[in-house]
Amino acid sequence: MLKVITCFKWVIDEADVKVDASSRRLILDRVGYKISLYDRNAIEEAALLQEKHGASIVAVTVAPPTAKQCLKDALSRGADKACFVNDPSLVDLEPTQTAALLAAAIKGQGDFDLILCGEGSSDLYTQQVGPILAEKLGIPCGTYVNKLTVIEGEKRVIAERKLDDCVEIVSIQLPALVTVLPDINTPRIPTLKQVLAAGKKPVDNITLDKLESPSEPGLETTSILGATMERRRLKFGAEAENIRAAVGALLKEGVIT
Amino acid sequence: MHLELTEEQQLVRASVREFCEKYIEPLADAVDQEPCFPSENVKRLAEQDWLGIPYPEEYGGAGADYLTHIIAVEELSRACAATGSIVEANASLVGFPLFKFGTEEQRKKYLTPLCKGEMLGAFAWTEAGAATVAYGATTAVSEGNEYVLNGAKTFVLYAPVAGVFIVFAATDKSKGTEGLSAFIVPADTPGIKAGEQVKKMGLRGALTSELVLKDCRIPKENLLGQEGQGFTIATTTLDGCRIGIAAQALGIAEAALEESVRYSKERVQFDKPICTFQAIQWMLANMAIEVEVSRYLTYHAAWCYDQGLPYSKEAAMAKLMASQTAVRQTDTAVQIHGGIGTVKGQKVERLYRDAKITQIYEGTPDVMRMTIADSLLQ
Repeated sequence: MLKVITCFKWVIDEADVKVDASSRRLILDRVGYKISLYDRNAIEEAALLQEKHGASIVAVTVAPPTAKQCLKDALSRGADKACFVNDPSLVDLEPTQTAALLAAAIKGQGDFDLILCGEGSSDLYTQQVGPILAEKLGIPCGTYVNKLTVIEGEKRVIAERKLDDCVEIVSIQLPALVTVLPDINTPRIPTLKQVLAAGKKPVDNITLDKLESPSEPGLETTSILGATMERRRLKFGAEAENIRAAVGALLKEGVIT
Repeated sequence: MHLELTEEQQLVRASVREFCEKYIEPLADAVDQEPCFPSENVKRLAEQDWLGIPYPEEYGGAGADYLTHIIAVEELSRACAATGSIVEANASLVGFPLFKFGTEEQRKKYLTPLCKGEMLGAFAWTEAGAATVAYGATTAVSEGNEYVLNGAKTFVLYAPVAGVFIVFAATDKSKGTEGLSAFIVPADTPGIKAGEQVKKMGLRGALTSELVLKDCRIPKENLLGQEGQGFTIATTTLDGCRIGIAAQALGIAEAALEESVRYSKERVQFDKPICTFQAIQWMLANMAIEVEVSRYLTYHAAWCYDQGLPYSKEAAMAKLMASQTAVRQTDTAVQIHGGIGTVKGQKVERLYRDAKITQIYEGTPDVMRMTIADSLLQ
């Protein structure tokens, strides 16, 4: 039976982020959280492999203990077990820190065949955690995957990588890590029975004392400000003189030079 | 004191919301305007285990609490009140009396397919001459191993699509409400027929018609509860349903508030979005307060129900407040939208029409006040 690990991130629901009009500061005190969108595709892909080939699925995340709710969410989407690396200090981690913690936690889970990650997270979208994690585990990595086929009995997968100018089809020896794009599948909406069953599934709570402390951050965030778009509310008709007026307005605003 | 939903309840809310964006919202206008019954979505609702949320798994339910059902109805009604009412009516109006008063055999035979979405049920209570107290025109006469039902019911929600009816009929006319009994009547029984559909102002996708019973013979085993227990069955059922109607009204009011906030930020008058004017801000603030009050009353009533505490008064308060809020605040929402708010295809126009029935069915505000006052004066 295929042993699949999916990694996911619990992120702020961007729909809830508000921007203070004068300071452009992000107002986060009433935000909700969700499983990062592409990570949902990764979990769904694992669930589909489970249906097709039979597979065990462990969903792994690194987060502060307050994110506990993410476990039932992931478990309701098909994972058999959750692995929760948690500590109050695990907020705003850099990709290298997250990948190191994931690698340590995954090593503790024993053998595996396939690790599935989202291509990037809904909040930062650095696209780094997957490849760094593969490197730390010393396994091959396929990114930008929008179709994945497991070749039974051969311990390999065929992955279609959607690149800017072409689709590349690669064969990857397992164990391997694959990062998926959103068009690989449509994540299912958990049924009520799946939601209720999630609470009965096992969770490995991994606190930092069982792992190495994460490395020091290499970046310093000086500020995060909301991008604002001020509308000028100018209207132009389609006649020649209006086009001149439109061009004039664009020049004046510095949009064109 | 805990005022937080459980993780499961929060997940259900998120999943219903996602489901609504994907399947319910895109159809809501057609469901209202044609009107049509969203049968594809009913299948999907069944697949999600949302048609029999509070009933045990052995009867095809999900085995969750009533508050979870209430949250699902609220979220569905926020997108499409007619779809919300399918879940509410099926589970509360028909599922509840079968579960509470049905024999093991009746539960297995009728509650299970209702929970699994294999058929929907309808509650045939109201008669042309009486609503809150229905007795007289529909009769059931015992003949050997059968009852023979005759009469007519009106405003039977989902009668045109129902697979089974709970029909209330007088087994002893001389006893008034004490002479009422409840019967389970499958829709394919000879002698039962859904009449012409009622053309309604709102909740139009919740197809409604009269129900005609003409020498409709059903076996004795289809009596629900005891002879003469019909009125108790109906009032007990309606008590719980009121929490569900409160949830429908709450969903409608929430949608009205959301649409109003969104539109008032977009709509520019006098060179400013109209949300910058205090007149609009006060309207929005009042809407938000009433929605919040309705939500707490509704959840509290459902919580009482789940705890096995008395809930008649709480349900009546929740229904009264939430339905008044829905009617008042959909009106405000149309006002904030101005002329465009009266145009077909605008969500607030639909909400305005959908809201009204929540003040009427399963008991008017005055009936709610009677229930509340009874409880105070006992």
